[in-house]
Amino acid sequence: MQEEIRAFIFSELLFVDDPAGFGDEDDLLDAGLDSMGIMRLVLFVEERFGISLPDDELEPDNLRTLGRLQRWIERHR
Amino acid sequence: MNPLEHLLRAGHAEPGQALFEDADRSLSAAELMEDAAALAAALRDRGVGRGDRVGIALGRGLDAARAVYGVLGAGACYVPLDPSSPPARLRHIARAAGCRLLLGRGGTPGWAQGLDWLDPAAASTTAPAAPPVAVRPEDIAAILYTSGSTGTPKGVAIPHRAVRAFADWGRDTFGLDSGDRIASLAPLHFDLSLFDLFTGPAAGATTCFVPERLKLAPARLVDWLAGQRITTWYTVPSLLGFLALKGGLAQRDLGALKCILFAGEVFPTARLMTLAEQLPHTRLYNLFGPTETNVCLYWPVRRERLRADRAIPVGVPACGAELRIDPASGELQVRGPCLMAGYWRDGAPRPVFDEAGWFATGDRVSRNDRGEYLFHGRLDRMLKSAGYRIEPAEIEQVLNAMPGVSGAVVLGLEDAVSGTRLAAAVAGDGLGQAALRAWAAERLPAWMRPAYYVLLDSLPVLPNGKTDHQRLRRCIEEELAACPTT
Repeated sequence: MQEEIRAFIFSELLFVDDPAGFGDEDDLLDAGLDSMGIMRLVLFVEERFGISLPDDELEPDNLRTLGRLQRWIERHR
Repeated sequence: MNPLEHLLRAGHAEPGQALFEDADRSLSAAELMEDAAALAAALRDRGVGRGDRVGIALGRGLDAARAVYGVLGAGACYVPLDPSSPPARLRHIARAAGCRLLLGRGGTPGWAQGLDWLDPAAASTTAPAAPPVAVRPEDIAAILYTSGSTGTPKGVAIPHRAVRAFADWGRDTFGLDSGDRIASLAPLHFDLSLFDLFTGPAAGATTCFVPERLKLAPARLVDWLAGQRITTWYTVPSLLGFLALKGGLAQRDLGALKCILFAGEVFPTARLMTLAEQLPHTRLYNLFGPTETNVCLYWPVRRERLRADRAIPVGVPACGAELRIDPASGELQVRGPCLMAGYWRDGAPRPVFDEAGWFATGDRVSRNDRGEYLFHGRLDRMLKSAGYRIEPAEIEQVLNAMPGVSGAVVLGLEDAVSGTRLAAAVAGDGLGQAALRAWAAERLPAWMRPAYYVLLDSLPVLPNGKTDHQRLRRCIEEELAACPTT
């Protein structure tokens, strides 16, 4: 799952020089992930993994790094 | 009359009425007058006068509102310089506008070296307070730089007459008064901000600046709208679509929200229907017009007429605009009080109207049997993404300037979720994706940077030697389809 999300982010939403070197705790928002990117990411995760992420929890602190995103998703699987 | 005097003289705002608010401060009409007059005096002290341009490199907020009214109070015109834009672009705009002075926080940044820089918070003046400088209706109030088809940003020069016409039209059409609270999220360089900065004060309403971070947290943004008892909001469809999907609108009490206005891009009707269902008591309005005309058409959304597979109309004339359709091309042409003075070049607005004063918008329209206008796309290559207008030629010029590039073409790819995304096909020797991205990032604001790059040995051409855009589009779509995305 982690790898699929990573592949989606770096091929569809965010373009960095070295995706493989982008750490799990590096900041996606600082790297340029914007509101439309977040919307696409959340819709992708919900559809691909058949889960529902609560609207109330959709905020930067839950998805500003790959690690945080992973932990947020795990809580709702 | 100067907009500063107009504020109180028109009788819409009581001196104690809060006109602007952010998270923890508010600015009353009297305080705005006083602060703006002090800044105007400091500007005059530095030689700024009627007809001069002053750059404002401040983000949305109370300081920017003070700066705008201060610059106008001095009889000058303001030029928004978006602090998040690349330095090279800011420098280009400041120079193209011929800014006499720039207002921003702290000391002079690198891109402004050689230009006069003033931090309004540190501005002090020994000049005696003086009444606002009288301006004429055709004096320029603002120059908004937008993407240009000639390859460089284009300055749309907006006269006081047009600002006034739009402010008064908005106040009267949406029935705004001192009880209204307007949410403001549009950056200063985006024409939607004219509503927040001028229509609000013209109605004596309170314009409330939305905290920037809430853009990324839809449910919190909705909580904020509810908690602030916002009555009116003018924003872009892509953000409203985000709220409709993930904002939990149905669970919040948005009873105060009377009115949502949207513009800047086509609102996909299915998404608009989701929004309309969740906000049964909010009036929705589709506003339409390029920056050059500001709002020249509007459609009060009639819920019973919404069909998921049909685009909504752009409606009927707004702001006193006269409209006509060129019979040969179907192009919308506009004249009237909301029209710009022209594009700013070499120290003056250069009109681009025909002898009878009509402006050709480049938008293709028709009328339905109710007499409402329908929008059918552009006659040229202009694209819209997240409300921003983008000229592919400007991006192509940046890419073509990169060493090793022999040709570049930028196209828009439609995406059901987030609207238009930009793809660049680039031909040349020894090019790399990372180098192209880095090159673009240094020269273009985020919203103008291509999301996808496809590298080619050469661009496909038609028998007449012109670039074959249709083949290129197929190339790009095939190459992206082959990408291992999921």
